[in-house]
Amino acid sequence: MREVGIVGVGHPPFGKYEGSLMAMLCEAAVAALDDAGLKTGAGHGVDQVLVSSMGASQVNRQTGVASALVDTLNLRPAMAETVENGPASGASAVKLGYMAIVSGMCDVVLVVGGERMRVLSGWEATDFVATMLHPEAEYAYGLTLPSFAGMFTRLIMAKYGVTERDLAMVSVKNHQNAMFNPAAHIQLVPDLEAITEDEDALTINPYVAEPLHLYDTCPVSDGAAAVVLCALDVKERFAKRPVKIAGIGQATDTHVVAEREVPTDLFAVRRAAERAYAMAGLGPQDIDVAELHDAFTILEIVEAEEVGFFPRGEGHLAVRRGETRIGGRIPINTSGGLKAKGHPLGATGVSQIIELVRQLRGEADGRQVKDAQAGLAVNFGGFGNNVVATILTREEE
Amino acid sequence: MEREMQAYQCTQCGELHHPLHYVCRKCGGRDFKEVPLRGEAALLTWTKVYNLPEGYMRPSLGFCIVEFENGLRVAGQLEVDRPIFGMKVRAVVDVVREGVGEDYYGFIFKPAQE
Ligand SMILES: [Zn+2]
Repeated sequence: MREVGIVGVGHPPFGKYEGSLMAMLCEAAVAALDDAGLKTGAGHGVDQVLVSSMGASQVNRQTGVASALVDTLNLRPAMAETVENGPASGASAVKLGYMAIVSGMCDVVLVVGGERMRVLSGWEATDFVATMLHPEAEYAYGLTLPSFAGMFTRLIMAKYGVTERDLAMVSVKNHQNAMFNPAAHIQLVPDLEAITEDEDALTINPYVAEPLHLYDTCPVSDGAAAVVLCALDVKERFAKRPVKIAGIGQATDTHVVAEREVPTDLFAVRRAAERAYAMAGLGPQDIDVAELHDAFTILEIVEAEEVGFFPRGEGHLAVRRGETRIGGRIPINTSGGLKAKGHPLGATGVSQIIELVRQLRGEADGRQVKDAQAGLAVNFGGFGNNVVATILTREEE
Repeated sequence: MEREMQAYQCTQCGELHHPLHYVCRKCGGRDFKEVPLRGEAALLTWTKVYNLPEGYMRPSLGFCIVEFENGLRVAGQLEVDRPIFGMKVRAVVDVVREGVGEDYYGFIFKPAQE
């Protein structure tokens, strides 16, 4: 089978973007093309463009975004599609780009993920994201993603002894990592005692969806991120040595969360990771760095268990021991994660993959994991009803 | 008007569903009949959510997942002061979201004995 690598990455800072959605996407795209050493204009060499966005049509009232992007960048007549798979849109678009190259239809694919969320108020953003829930059995009740995360957290706490402090430790770790990532939205580190034990902890860190606090949830961010994929048999065209896409796995679960057989499991995470490991010929013990979808801190802990880093129910113990920090046994969310880097839905999956590329290239500066050879990203859609896992490996010269 | 919520029973194998699916999860059947979904349920998990969307004129709202005696699990709103794992709650059908033109009815779970 044809092999595929990533030869260019573009990741402007997440946060508040003043320009249009299109300008934001273009900025990321051009940065990725530059990084790959591709020129713009005639002879650009891009066969296909994929744009991942969950909210372009609803939030920004723009459809046909990929077609518009291709023209704005003058990449015509490249093929173009917009990909929507909820908050997992980014990794889905990379997967589809991979498939386009493996099929032989394309040699070079540009994937651009982006979301302009800050035009919404906080609750409008939460309400928009909740439209991916079941319309009658969930959304109509006023249920949201934080509601399900809160109910899930309560079950996990009761079953495995995870505490609010454990969750706050995940948050503090990710904020610390983000201080070394100039593209991260939030550039401050909360004090663990101040958000947990101190007298006014509940004022600084109020409940959002009990038992989850403000510092357990990701912010609302604008942001775009882009990667250039290529067939490894044409890698000589590019400036940078490719990072290989070694495995991709995806799985779905029940749309209605209450219908899950084991309410404390994230089945689709487990199955997606198993498929990615099988394709890569690797296992959890081979992974040196991971980006796990921490839209809520509890998810980082349970996903780490589902992908096999820790036995079930012991993820929080690993957090206490510092195993998931940079320098620990398996550093998780070195980019700052969704918690601190931000979660511009359609950009997130692409952003996670970019962090792995930087780690595997040795370009992660102050947050570099020493001698990283293989990385895993988990991009989580719905409340875990559509999950994409991607494994990247460093290629030898 | 008395409102009622329904479960959907596969006419081929008897498997209960809520909400309605087009195909039975157990046998692949495609024909369902409605059976009333009501009575008592056990509280499996819950949360209290703050910062609600406009239209909910209150500071917080309770939500839960429960298991009915027939084994069906559903999500709904929760109006219980001190929730405890496994406690019995009673399914009441009332307005759960005020809509433009038409309100949406669903489960609100309340203490079993009053
Ligand atoms: Zn059936």
